[in-house]
Amino acid sequence: MAMEMRLPVARKPLSERLGRDTKKHLVVPGDTITTDTGFMRGHGTYMGEEKLIASVAGSVERVNKLICVKALKTRYIGEVGDIVVGRITEVQQKRWKVETNSRLDSVLLLSSMNLPGGELRRRSAEDELAMRGFLQEGDLISAEVQAVFSDGAVSLHTRSLKYGKLGQGVLVQVSPSLVRRQKTHLHDLPCGASVILGNNGFIWIYPTPEHKEEEAGGFIANLEPVSLADREVISRLRNCIISLVTQRMMLYDTSILYCYEASLPHQIKDILKPEIMEEIVMETRQRLLEQEG
Amino acid sequence: MKETPLSNCERRFLLRAIEEKKRLDGRQTYDYRNIRISFGTDYGCCIVELGKTRVLGQVSCELVSPKLNRATEGILFFNLELSQMAAPAFEPGRHSDLLVKLNRLLERCLRNSKCIDTESLCVVAGEKVWQIRVDLHLLNHDGNIIDAASIAAIVALCHFRRPDVSVQGDEVTLYTPEERDPVPLSIHHMPICVSFAFFQQGTYLLVDPNEREERVMDGLLVIAMNKHREICTIQSSGGIMLLKDQVLRCSKIAGVKVAEITELILKALENDQKVRKEGGKFGFAESIANQRITAFKMEKAPIDTSDVEEKAEEIIAEAEPPSEVVSTPVLWTPGTAQIGEGVENSWGDLEDSEKEDDEGGGDEAIILDSIKMDTGVEVSDIGSQEMGFHHVGQTGLEFLTSDAPIILSDSEEEEMIILEPDKNPKKIRTQTTSAKQEKAPSKKPVKRRKKKRAAN
Repeated sequence: MAMEMRLPVARKPLSERLGRDTKKHLVVPGDTITTDTGFMRGHGTYMGEEKLIASVAGSVERVNKLICVKALKTRYIGEVGDIVVGRITEVQQKRWKVETNSRLDSVLLLSSMNLPGGELRRRSAEDELAMRGFLQEGDLISAEVQAVFSDGAVSLHTRSLKYGKLGQGVLVQVSPSLVRRQKTHLHDLPCGASVILGNNGFIWIYPTPEHKEEEAGGFIANLEPVSLADREVISRLRNCIISLVTQRMMLYDTSILYCYEASLPHQIKDILKPEIMEEIVMETRQRLLEQEG
Repeated sequence: MKETPLSNCERRFLLRAIEEKKRLDGRQTYDYRNIRISFGTDYGCCIVELGKTRVLGQVSCELVSPKLNRATEGILFFNLELSQMAAPAFEPGRHSDLLVKLNRLLERCLRNSKCIDTESLCVVAGEKVWQIRVDLHLLNHDGNIIDAASIAAIVALCHFRRPDVSVQGDEVTLYTPEERDPVPLSIHHMPICVSFAFFQQGTYLLVDPNEREERVMDGLLVIAMNKHREICTIQSSGGIMLLKDQVLRCSKIAGVKVAEITELILKALENDQKVRKEGGKFGFAESIANQRITAFKMEKAPIDTSDVEEKAEEIIAEAEPPSEVVSTPVLWTPGTAQIGEGVENSWGDLEDSEKEDDEGGGDEAIILDSIKMDTGVEVSDIGSQEMGFHHVGQTGLEFLTSDAPIILSDSEEEEMIILEPDKNPKKIRTQTTSAKQEKAPSKKPVKRRKKKRAAN
């Protein structure tokens, strides 16, 4: 059996992004943002000694007279309309508690859930007793954010057939700040797999379902064995996502696809080696710039 | 923060692995992780590392008035705290069940077993007794807190020295450590907790579960025993049904483990005692390893090369006069010299080729077995006369023919060289017999300065 050994290497600073037009104003906690008192304080700032000081590490955003600091590494902060992938942690009386990498557990009410068959009716006591039959502790679901409570907790709903319990696939957990906000987050990649880019940083890669069958509200998990070719595609995608994350690139369908194509000449397990990671991501970056320009 | 839930596949994987008698870190079912005990500068302060689980123990004492119903006994106080740095799930001000359970177990193990002689802590009956306080802090949580905490507690108690007191009639004199040496506590025996984790309703058991295994276990059995095979405390939690012979088997295993751990503790205490007596350095700063490999590439270090020329001159002077073929040393820059031009680089052919890298002051332990010199006339590509000084770090590296094994030292402190690509192409010398090179294979160990010369 061949074995590979590596020695620790001095960490290289990430190379400057090629051709970034706007320089981000990065601050660390305690940095002065401005001494101009005409601004309104937003999140992530506080007033001290006539100066506006940052309280989190991130980039400064300014909208007219409002200054706020958007933190680079945070837990997921819910916004209405986001798509998230979460894991059920508790089954309570009329709702499920879902873990979505945020400060508080998200809530999925029974009334926000699609019943099998897609019927619309009032949820009865029997439904309540049968809750565990739908979703148990440890299950993964994809859902959309319906509302955000005042304390920051997020209320989810799966009222569309494209949301629901997730079956076989691979979950990758990344920082929420790396997932770009787009129009759609559920993509069917041409390489043969589908991906759900949750805004909370949970990315779900799964084999593209053969035919869009009449989903029973998305509760029947497809347990057919997945073919080897599909598995390889999924593994490769997962490694590509990990390499993009390591190089701090934004994740969206185009970047993942380009990265996948750039990684094709390498073996799947080689993608995780630092040098090959850099090479692939460099190529992805080039292609993205060409595409933009 | 709430604990991140364990996914179903992780849980299944762990349980399946346990069914196949495999553990994530490769241990056997009855193996403990590495236990490391280090002491601080004060008496009674120690850190115990059980794998990655770290517990800090500190013992302190105070003179107080005794309890009313126990006028002649000292007071013992145990406290275990789960520090926030141990795990994200530990939050301040939230007395979780885990904390209460651990504290209770520790108290039962140490107090009820009467391992410390409380009567000896009495100074004046009814008025002054010693109150011994054991504070344990969990610094890192990687499973099996109770074992690590019990070891830390008993080690700290054994290590601790209380100030000496003397009573003369009504007068009580408390001596400072400078006046009189502090006195150790009187400890009868050392109870140590051993944890057994049960899986699949008691079918499989593991000793010393780590954090992942603890999350999927069904129940936990803790047996506190001392090396005389006396059980001090036994507790079963998790609601599993255990059979009688299972419990007996566990107690036998616990006996073996406790004997090993007690031996380790005694050795550690002895070592520390020896170091203190000899006046050596002790404390946490010493027990942390200084040398670590943190980078493959070292920064360029400035080297004093002022005496290199002299040393080179010395060598030249001592040695036989070189043939006319050899040119005089050419100094390119301070630190880089060249004598003649080398031959073709035959490294790729794995033939007899030698490249010598010499450096004044390189004393790395590179041991070479032997040099086989090819003294054949036809082979003319030996004899690299080039003495290039490669200044990368302060090391010298000699490597050899393909026949002799190259043994590089295992020492982590050694710096690796990055061999620069051969700048000067080596040309094949014409008709140089290497008869004179037989002088070289004297088996001088370590540092060798050879000078090959081509005889004509």
